[in-house]
Amino acid sequence: MGATGSKLEKALGDQFPEGERYFGLENFGNTCYCNSVLQALYFCVPFREQLLEYYANNKSPPEAEENLLTCLAELFSQISSQKKKTGVIAPRRFVQRVRKQNELFRGYMHQDAHEFLNFLLNELVDILEKESHAAKSLAASSPKKVSNGTCNGHANGVKKEPLVTWVHKNFQGILTNETRCLRCETVTARDETFFDLSLDIEQNSSITSCLKNFSSTETLNAEDKFFCDKCCSLQEAQKRMKIKKPPHILVIHLKRFKYMEQLGRYKKLSYRVVFPLELKLSNTTENTDSEYSLFAVVVHVGSGPNHGHYVSLVKSHNHWLFFDDENAEIIDESAVQTFFGSAQEYSSNTDHGYILFYESLAASKS
Amino acid sequence: MHRVASAGNTSTSVRARKEKRLTYVLNDAHDTKHCAGVNCLALSNSSSPGGSEYLFTGSRDGTLKRWALAEDGATCCATFESHVDWVNDAVLTGNNTLVSCSSDTTVKVWNGLSEGSCTRTLRQHSDYVTCLASAEKNSNVVASAGLGGEVYIWDLESALSPTSKSSDATEENCSNGVSGAGSSLSITSIHPNSSSNTISLHTQSQGYIPVSAKGHKESVYALAMNDSGSLLVSGGTEKVVRVWDPRTGSKTMKLKGHTDNIRALLLDSTGRFCLSGSSDSMIRLWDLGQQRCVHSYAVHTDSVWALASTPTFSHVYSGGRDLSLYLTDLAVRESVLLCTKDHPILQLALHGDGMWVATTDSSVHKWPAEVHNPQKVFERGGSFLAGNLSFSRARVSLEGSTPVPIFKEPSFSIYGTPGIVQHVILNNRRHVLTKDTADTVKLWEITRGAVTQNYGEVSFDKKKEELFEMVSIPAWFTVDTRLGCLAVHLDTPQCFSAEMYSADLNIPGKPEDDKVNLARETLKGLLVHWLIKRRQKFGSQSSISGEVPSGKDVSTRVLTTSRVEVDGNAHNDSVVFPPFEFSPASPPSIMTEGSQSGPWRKKITDLDGTEDEKDMPWWVIDCVMNNRLPPRENTKCSFYLHPCEGSTVQILTQGKLSAPRILRIHKVINYIVEKLVLVKPLDSVNSDGTFAPGMHGATGVDDSSQTGPKPWQKHKPSIEILCNNQVLSPEMSLATVRAYIWKKPEDLVLNYRLLPSK
Repeated sequence: MGATGSKLEKALGDQFPEGERYFGLENFGNTCYCNSVLQALYFCVPFREQLLEYYANNKSPPEAEENLLTCLAELFSQISSQKKKTGVIAPRRFVQRVRKQNELFRGYMHQDAHEFLNFLLNELVDILEKESHAAKSLAASSPKKVSNGTCNGHANGVKKEPLVTWVHKNFQGILTNETRCLRCETVTARDETFFDLSLDIEQNSSITSCLKNFSSTETLNAEDKFFCDKCCSLQEAQKRMKIKKPPHILVIHLKRFKYMEQLGRYKKLSYRVVFPLELKLSNTTENTDSEYSLFAVVVHVGSGPNHGHYVSLVKSHNHWLFFDDENAEIIDESAVQTFFGSAQEYSSNTDHGYILFYESLAASKS
Repeated sequence: MHRVASAGNTSTSVRARKEKRLTYVLNDAHDTKHCAGVNCLALSNSSSPGGSEYLFTGSRDGTLKRWALAEDGATCCATFESHVDWVNDAVLTGNNTLVSCSSDTTVKVWNGLSEGSCTRTLRQHSDYVTCLASAEKNSNVVASAGLGGEVYIWDLESALSPTSKSSDATEENCSNGVSGAGSSLSITSIHPNSSSNTISLHTQSQGYIPVSAKGHKESVYALAMNDSGSLLVSGGTEKVVRVWDPRTGSKTMKLKGHTDNIRALLLDSTGRFCLSGSSDSMIRLWDLGQQRCVHSYAVHTDSVWALASTPTFSHVYSGGRDLSLYLTDLAVRESVLLCTKDHPILQLALHGDGMWVATTDSSVHKWPAEVHNPQKVFERGGSFLAGNLSFSRARVSLEGSTPVPIFKEPSFSIYGTPGIVQHVILNNRRHVLTKDTADTVKLWEITRGAVTQNYGEVSFDKKKEELFEMVSIPAWFTVDTRLGCLAVHLDTPQCFSAEMYSADLNIPGKPEDDKVNLARETLKGLLVHWLIKRRQKFGSQSSISGEVPSGKDVSTRVLTTSRVEVDGNAHNDSVVFPPFEFSPASPPSIMTEGSQSGPWRKKITDLDGTEDEKDMPWWVIDCVMNNRLPPRENTKCSFYLHPCEGSTVQILTQGKLSAPRILRIHKVINYIVEKLVLVKPLDSVNSDGTFAPGMHGATGVDDSSQTGPKPWQKHKPSIEILCNNQVLSPEMSLATVRAYIWKKPEDLVLNYRLLPSK
C-alpha cells in the first residue's frame, strides 16, 4: 500500500500540489459506494474547506454528541492533516456512524452511491439546521452567547429564514416548474429546490441532450389533467422544468438503473452518455448560460445493479486521479472518456460514469 | 432532497367511484342569462322572410341559449340544458338542427327551434370534445374533434333516429337527455343498418359508427370544413394543420409552420385556402393546392383564438388572448384594430354588417364590422402592416400602446350574469361563501339553493374570517364552480354523515330533538317534483310498498347492504321541510347518471317521474322513496365524564359514554345534573328516580330529555363542563369540542364541576 503511495508521488514528482493529500480509503466490505462518494466530496474544494472550518470551530466541546457531520469532518480533517502526502486511511468511525444512522446501509450488500450521497447531504443539512435552531433558542434565552458564534459553526447560517446552510450554498439549486393551461394559456410557476439532478438517459446521447429532455415539455392530459384556477376546471396543460438558480456544485445523477416492468427487476443501462469536461447549462430561466467544469465522477463498475464496484475519478490541481478504495493513481485526462459507457449493449467495458460533479466556473472565479 | 423525475412519481390512476354521484347546480335567478364565459356562437340563416333571426350561444355554464334578435333587443327564447360540463362549440345545420359538443365528452343534437329538446346524444368521444365543423351545403355532415386526437365525421341522417320529426317536443325532451329509457322507440324500425334486436335509444351508438379520421397523436383544438363537405382541416397541439377527406377519414396532407397550438381554423367555400390562428400569435394563410403557407400575419401580440372571414375570403377578422379584434386585408397585408374587449376573445360570428364576439365573460356583444365593405374601415386610418412577429411585438412595446381601436362601443349587447370564481364551504356545512367575476361576495344556503346574504363588493377573505364559526360538522358534500355557478356533489355514503337537530333548523311542528339528516332532506327537496309526478303516474302504491319499478335489483341490494332507517313517522317524513325547499322560480338542475344512461342534466321541475334507476343512482331513489340510508360511519361520539380535580361532585356513571356527535354540551350538563351525587345529596334527586341504577358503562346519554320542568330543577345546581381545562359553552356540540378543543384521536374526556351557587 505504501508502494502505491510512493508511486503516485513519484509520478507527480515536484508537481505534487502544495498541502494536498491523496489517500485511498479502506473498504470494510462493500463500502466502495461510500468511499467513491467521499473522494468526490473531499475533492469538492469549497465543500471540504467549509467542512474543515466547521470542524475547527466545533471540536472544542468533547461532550458534544457524535453525528454524521462530526464524523465526516473528523475524517476530512484526518486526511488533510496527514504527515505523508499519500497513503491509506480507514474511515472506520464514519462508516460505523452511517450504519448506525440508516439501516439501509447496515448490511454488507452492494449499495447505491447516489442514494448514499442523497442520504448524506440531507443528513448534514438536518444536523446543521438543528444546531442552528438550538443556537437560536440559546441566543434567545441568554443574549450574551450571541457574540460567541462558535456554537452554530457558521455565523451566517442563523440569520436567514428559511435557513441556508453552507451545504445548501454549495449544492442547492432552484428548479421552476412551469405549467401552462392549454385552454386559457395562463402560466403558473412553482419553485422547487434540488441538491442533484436525476437525468433519464438514452443510448448514444450526451449530458446536454439529457438536460434538454429533462426540460422538455410534458403534457398533462387524459386522466391526468391539470386543475386550472383560471378556468375553475380540469384542462390539458403543458408542464416543463427549468433551472431557475443553477447551483455552485452541480451534481448530475444518470439514471443507469432502470426498473424493467417485464423483468420485474432493475437493470443496468450501459448506454454511452458523453459528459463533457466543460458543460454549459442552457435550460435556465434567465438566458445567461452558466458554465461548469467537471471535477469528479463516481463510476459504477459491473453489469448489474445489485453487484459491482464503485470507483471515482477526481480532478485536483489540473491532474486527474483514479481512486479505487485503497488505491490512488494518476491518469490522463483523455482516460475520462473511457467511462462514457458503451454503444453496444454487451460490451466488456462495464465502467460507466454514474454521478457527475461539476463546479460552476463563475463561482470559482469570484 | 428533491429527486427530480424519480421513478416513484407515477401518479396513481384515478380510482373508480363505486357509486354514481348526484350533483345539483344552483341556477341563478335569471335563467335567461348565461353565468359563465361564452365559448361559441351560431347564427340561424334568416332564409325565411319574416322569420325571426336567431343567435345561439353555448356557454361554459353547460347550457346553450337561443336568442330572438330584433332591432331593439334580444330575448332568450330557449335554454338547451342537457350537457353536464362546458359547451365548447356549436354549429347549426339545415332544418335548424343545432349540434353542440362539450367537455362532458358528448356531442348533442337539438331541435334548434324547440323549447330546448335534445334529439340525440352521441357518445363516441372518450375525452373533451373541443370543436365542431359543418358543411354549408351539405347539412348532413358534421365533424367533431377533441382531446386525445379524436376526430369523427358524422352523417347526421344516419346518426339520428327520425324521432325528431314524429312525436311532440315534450315527449322527446324526456326521452333524450335522460336517455329515453321510457321511450319505446327503437332505431331498428327505421334504420336498416342497426342490428335486429330492439335497442333502446341510449345504446344507439352501437347502431351507427361515425367515420373516424385517425392520425392525430395529440389533442385537437380547431376544426373547419368547406361548403360541400369534401374537405376537413384540423389543428391542435401538434402544431400542424392536418387536411382530411371527411368522406373516408383519410389523410390528405399535413402543413407545418406554426410553433404552438393551433386554436382556430377557417376554410374558404371552395376549400382552396385555409386560415389558421395559433397560440404562437400568428395567423397563416395556406394554399392547399400548393400545399404551402402563402402568407403569415403577425397582427396579434398573444394567442389567436378566433377567426372569421368576409364572404369573399378577402379579409379576416381575428380575436384572441390579447383582447383585441383585428381586421386584416389578406392580399395587401394591412391590419386595423376594430375594438378591444375586457376579456379574451373566444369566438366570432358574422351577422349582417356586424360581428358577434364571444369572450370568457358571460355577456356577448355585437360590434360594427363593415363586413360587406371592409375597405371602409381602412379608410378611417390607423392601419398598419401585418409584418413579422418581432415587428408586431415591437410596435406594441415601442409605441407603448396598441393602436387606437376604430370602434369604442358595441352596437348591441346581450348581458349575462357574473359567474362564480371563488368559493369556500363554511364550517356549518350549510353555507357556502362565493365571489363572482364582478367581485360580489354572496352567502348561499345550499340546502335550499338560495342566496341568504349579498355582501356586495367586499373582501372575500375578510368575510370568510368574519363568518368563521367554531363548529364541526362532517363534510357531507363537495362543491365546484367550473360552470360559473355552484355545483354541489353528493356521494354515497359520506353525504349521509351530517345530522342536525330539528330545533337548530327551526323546523316547525317537528319535535325539536329530532335528528335531521341533511343529505336526505336535501335529496327530498330536490326530488319532490319528481316524486309527485311519479306518484301521479304510477299511483301511490309503488311508493308505499317501497318497490321501485324495475327495481328488484335495488331492493335486494338494500337488504344486504343498507341499514334500514325508517323514521317513526313515515307520513310526516315525505314532507319537505322549509330549510330544504328549493325555489320553484329558479329551480336547481340535477346532474347525475344511473345504471344505463350517461350523465345528464335537467331542472328539478322538469323531471317527469319516469326517471328510474337506469337514470339516477339507486341510492338516491332508495333514500327518497324508501327512506333508507346506506350504512355509514358511526355518527356517535364516545366520551368519558370525570369530575374536575378537587371537585366534590360525583356521579354514578364512570365508564365510557356514547352520544350523537351533534349532542350539545347543555344536554351533557342536564345529564350530569340528573345523575349527580352531591356530598350533600339533594333529596329530590333520589326521590325523583330519574337515573336508573343500570346505567353504567357505555350507556347512551338520552338526547330526548323530558322538557317538562321537574320539581328538582327549580333548585338545579349549576354545573360547568371543561375540556383540556377550558370551560365549554353549552351551545357546543360534542363534535365541535372534539375538533377544536380536545384535538386528539383518543376518546374525548370531559370534566365537570359545580359552580358556586349565587
